[in-house]
Amino acid sequence: MTAAAANAGPVSAQKLAGYGVAAIAAVLVLYPVFYLFQAAFDVGDPQVRPPTAYGLDNFGNLLHYPQILLNTLTVSFAATVMAVVIGFLMAWILARTNVPGRRVFEQLMTVPYYLTPLLGALAWSMLGSPESGFINQVWRATGASGHIIDINTPYGIAWVMALFEGSVAFVMIAAVMKSMDPSLEEASQIIGASRLRTMLRVTLPLVIPGVLGAAIFVFAEMLGSFAVALVLGSPNRYYVITTAIYQLIQQYPPRIQVSAAMGVSLFAVMFVMLFIYRRIVTGGSYATITGKAFRPRVADVKGLRWVLFGVCVLYVLASVALPVLTLMFASVQKIATAFPAADNFTLSNFHAAMSMNAASSALGNSLILGFATASIGIVLMGLLAWLIYRSRLPGAGLIEYIVMFPQAVPRLVFAFGMMWAWLVFPIPIYGTMWLLLIAYLTVFLPLGVRTIAGVMLQIDKSLEECAQMCGASWGFRTRTVTMPLLLPGLIAAWLLLFIASVRELGASILLMGPHSKVITPAIVESWFGTASELTATLALIQTLVVAAAMVVLVLVTRRLTAEPVD
Amino acid sequence: MAGQPHIEVESLEIFYGKVPAVRGVSFTVQPGEQLTLLGPSGCGKTTTLRAVAGLEQPAAGEIRIGGAPVYSSARKINVPAEKRGLSMVFQSYAIWPHMTVFENVAYGLRVRRTAAAEITEKVHSALDMVQMRDFAARRASQLSGGQQQRVALARAFVFQPSVLLFDEPLSNLDAKLRADMRIELRDLQHRLGITSLYVTHDLEEALAMSDRIVVMRDGLVEQTGTPDEIYRLPRSAFVADFIGSANLIRGRHRPDLGTGDLIALETADGQVMYGMACGRTAGAEIIFSVRTVHLQISGEHPPGDKNVWPVRVEKTVFQGDFSQLHVVWGAQRLIARCAAMEPIAPGSEVFMTVDPRRAVLLGA
Amino acid sequence: MGDTKKGVISRRGLLQAGTAMATVPFLGISAPNVLAQGLSKSPTKVLDFMTNADVDKAKQEGQLVFYCHENEAGTAGIMEGFRKDFPEIKTSYVRAQTGALYSKIIAERSAGRFDVDVIQLSDLAPAFDFQKKGGYEHYVSPETPAYKDDNLSAPHGYFFWTGVDPAGIAYNTDKISAGDAPKNWKDLLNPAWKGKISCKISASGLQFVQWYALRKLYGDGFWKEFAKLQPHAFDSRVQLFDRLAKGDDMLTAIGEYPAYILFKSRGAKVEFVAPPDGMVATPLVVGAVNKAPHPEAAKLFVDWAMSKRGQAWYQTNPNLYYGSVRTDAPPMPTGVKLSDFKLLYPTDWNEYAAQSPAFLKEWNGMLGL
Repeated sequence: MTAAAANAGPVSAQKLAGYGVAAIAAVLVLYPVFYLFQAAFDVGDPQVRPPTAYGLDNFGNLLHYPQILLNTLTVSFAATVMAVVIGFLMAWILARTNVPGRRVFEQLMTVPYYLTPLLGALAWSMLGSPESGFINQVWRATGASGHIIDINTPYGIAWVMALFEGSVAFVMIAAVMKSMDPSLEEASQIIGASRLRTMLRVTLPLVIPGVLGAAIFVFAEMLGSFAVALVLGSPNRYYVITTAIYQLIQQYPPRIQVSAAMGVSLFAVMFVMLFIYRRIVTGGSYATITGKAFRPRVADVKGLRWVLFGVCVLYVLASVALPVLTLMFASVQKIATAFPAADNFTLSNFHAAMSMNAASSALGNSLILGFATASIGIVLMGLLAWLIYRSRLPGAGLIEYIVMFPQAVPRLVFAFGMMWAWLVFPIPIYGTMWLLLIAYLTVFLPLGVRTIAGVMLQIDKSLEECAQMCGASWGFRTRTVTMPLLLPGLIAAWLLLFIASVRELGASILLMGPHSKVITPAIVESWFGTASELTATLALIQTLVVAAAMVVLVLVTRRLTAEPVD
Repeated sequence: MAGQPHIEVESLEIFYGKVPAVRGVSFTVQPGEQLTLLGPSGCGKTTTLRAVAGLEQPAAGEIRIGGAPVYSSARKINVPAEKRGLSMVFQSYAIWPHMTVFENVAYGLRVRRTAAAEITEKVHSALDMVQMRDFAARRASQLSGGQQQRVALARAFVFQPSVLLFDEPLSNLDAKLRADMRIELRDLQHRLGITSLYVTHDLEEALAMSDRIVVMRDGLVEQTGTPDEIYRLPRSAFVADFIGSANLIRGRHRPDLGTGDLIALETADGQVMYGMACGRTAGAEIIFSVRTVHLQISGEHPPGDKNVWPVRVEKTVFQGDFSQLHVVWGAQRLIARCAAMEPIAPGSEVFMTVDPRRAVLLGA
Repeated sequence: MGDTKKGVISRRGLLQAGTAMATVPFLGISAPNVLAQGLSKSPTKVLDFMTNADVDKAKQEGQLVFYCHENEAGTAGIMEGFRKDFPEIKTSYVRAQTGALYSKIIAERSAGRFDVDVIQLSDLAPAFDFQKKGGYEHYVSPETPAYKDDNLSAPHGYFFWTGVDPAGIAYNTDKISAGDAPKNWKDLLNPAWKGKISCKISASGLQFVQWYALRKLYGDGFWKEFAKLQPHAFDSRVQLFDRLAKGDDMLTAIGEYPAYILFKSRGAKVEFVAPPDGMVATPLVVGAVNKAPHPEAAKLFVDWAMSKRGQAWYQTNPNLYYGSVRTDAPPMPTGVKLSDFKLLYPTDWNEYAAQSPAFLKEWNGMLGL
């Protein structure tokens, strides 16, 4: 009787927390998806809600846009190839050779992601437009005519996508290289195989599954890319699915149904790709693989060192230095050109940016939202990570699927579903900051849960079990053992969420309301409606904020990954 | 009290998904006794221990601590681990890196809301017992393996649990340290008089430390007994070979040749060996187990004619304190362990003898 | 040939307006209320204009939510003007191109959300539609007499023309010499401009007017020829002139006069051409929204916008530079009067509105959407 009673008490606190948070996640994710699918299958009068008739006609209509589908595939494929090649090259150089400054370069490799693809697109637009691009102006100044690069072509778009959205390829491939047991290569060399032969016969086959996995993951991400295609593609009438959806729903009457069908198709393809990725790489689970990390043999490349160093510098130049400098250069001119006359310089853009009501309130909103998203996010996602990977409550696998769902949906498409879903919600959150908060929490679920889970899984289970054996209840041991150990990881996750919400574009651009403007869509608005110099200024201001957060992140994670004693 | 077992495990079954890890294990542990679960990896010993702790969920069976069931499939009882009043030492030590040594050891007392003064006193005396008193203020992450193990130990008994569970606590230490810690642990356990359930795959450890041993294989119990019993009277070929190296001699039972306690075995090639039945019934085909150390090799024919045979030495393996002699006995090769001696050249003809009391009949 | 086409409120239009009043719209007012409103109060003077709004109540409401088609700077500019005169009223706005803006407000209202006070559109077609749906509040401003019937809704009190945005052709003087520059609309169809010419996206009201007007003038073939030039399409006039100034485009087919003035003043090397066949223009229409959260502020804004001071603001703010249609409006800052331009308006606004789906289809198709 006492034993039975003892069964009831503490377990239910766990169960309550676990299922509660799972229910929240399910609502956040599935509610908008339902509306998205409903719109895609709605073949009745688009003005009438709820839909009067369902059918597959909208998907049939997709066949009228073969060019858009083709464009999407072309650009995504090209960007993936570029990203994987660059990622592989950089991973090789930084993990396997003795190029000087490796640690610094590794840190710099993630900077383009934080700079946001929008900024990259804006900067490269200023650099590579056939007429006004700085690079082309310089080219013409040497006496040549025409232009040397045209960034508004599919390959230009793919290039910028690869630079700014492809750094995840580097991270994944580098991780694969670091998890390779160097003794496998040593065995080959002891037998007498040359270094080249070793690389071809031993290293490459070991690395290829991981590279393939990275390629699939990156391809799925590229399919949903929005900012770059918007800035570089739209002017040249080059539309991909995400930008096409954006244009189609901007008209009156909005082409909701075909847009929803496009969105659902894109989602289906991404979902399949990510499913394949899961199977290949992780054998079915998203959990970060916590195996032993080897220290791979670093090859001495002698004279080649400096050539490879140059390659690294070139990459950093293209992805970080050049874009930022370009924006800075443009922001201090009246009309941006490569060779400004002395009277072309001005600080008025900064004045305008600061005084523009929209800009300052947008920045303020972004900061507030960033704080809120990160703070609520780590609690929500922390509980979810615990629920999925540590608790033994049934249904954890299903929750994992739901939580990772938003990864397979392009932000814009997801926001599209959210727009409808929360519009009809009885509590009036539509058009307010609350809607943006909910949207951010939803789309960042995969990011947050994965990050926290990675940290959580590094904590040996026995540490918590031991606390249990000492008699500590779930609450007590979570408070005294789990949380303090998780803390550095939670801080890192907080910062990641903060940065992610400040740089968010795809969802925000659809869901902003009059009182809830945020900074990255404001930059896009500025690009639409003001001179590009002012846009450059706004972009720089946003970058400063993100950069500050990033610096803090680097400092914190450096302490985290310091090798423990013994 | 003396007769009432402290831990009782009955018909325990545990599954990992569809795979059975423990297939019906039963044993008891008397108060103050150390019972060791011994076996090769994958035999289910750790799983059984964790089930007793409450960290694994069995599928069927019953576990009682001090007479009260903490798990019962029949009565649908499953007391959570934190409420069973047990304590455990983990293989990886599980020292909390963000706390000091003192805080680590004090944890169990804090959970029980002990007064601060009492905590200090108990922690210090526990640390004294494991000779880690000087490290009390040290950050736990700065200790060596052996030091962490001691702290883990102190932490485990500081709140005077009635039962201590050990999950291969010494297997991460180097050989020399392991040998020393073995003895320390044994002494400590005796001094505190705590009932211990110990898991290891190391034979020497089990023999040195245990009051009784449960030999497990493939999720089942092979034999239960004192170290001496298991060593001298292994019940099966597996146990015989696992507990010290043994020669297995198969042959026909010759009841006509048996006298008194002795039974006779005739090998396929006609050799006759006398051995002990030890209360086991002999079938038509029987197996004797003879420890390598009990086969005696001599140059001259030893006195007596029971269990004496001429053999040829095939090779000698020098092992320092002793040598292994591989001899040819009829159609079979046997291994004899002899104390350090003059090396015997391969091919020599020597005599081998074994005391019939050392040839043990194995169970079916 | 030369004079401004009068906007048509034909007998047909009046009949249609009448039926609109009798219709029970799916949101808002039933017919009797329509008559009751806007007639009871007597106007008061605030600052230097007349208003039927309860000014104190408006200040108490303290907020104005404005949906506008203008680019960011323009919308902010309008709000700035209103706020200067009424600092107690906090303004906030949403800006999107007319098509998108209208979709948004319709979607919101269909879901029961009424968050908007005033809406400004750059196209009469959605304005008619909104009026039909009962989206506009019926409010007759005391400033109404300063406007011709052509520039007001029928019946009065739903929306009015807060300005006119005329557009011609503009080109970059570095890229195109004065001799080569197009003189009339037809000169746009020169194959030399292929890939170097810009226009606006299909959500733009002005673009719709241009499509309609030039089609009427030159026939269906005009835009089909234009499509062969593979023009670049953009959301706002600022983008068009930004690219023009930098040389990314050589010329634009829809250069708005206000933007030309603005960029010229910044020193951009651009030149404007007013085609002799006529400039296209779209009215920019403002109206208070029905079921507004701040109804008195909405009315006050309408009166302000219609008033001389409001119109002066619209005309002189560098981000706006609209041409005012107020009968007593002064010339634009450049000295030009709206009536100096030959403006091509649609003769039958209803027929024009009905063409919207055809326009969208052709224009989107041209752009590859």
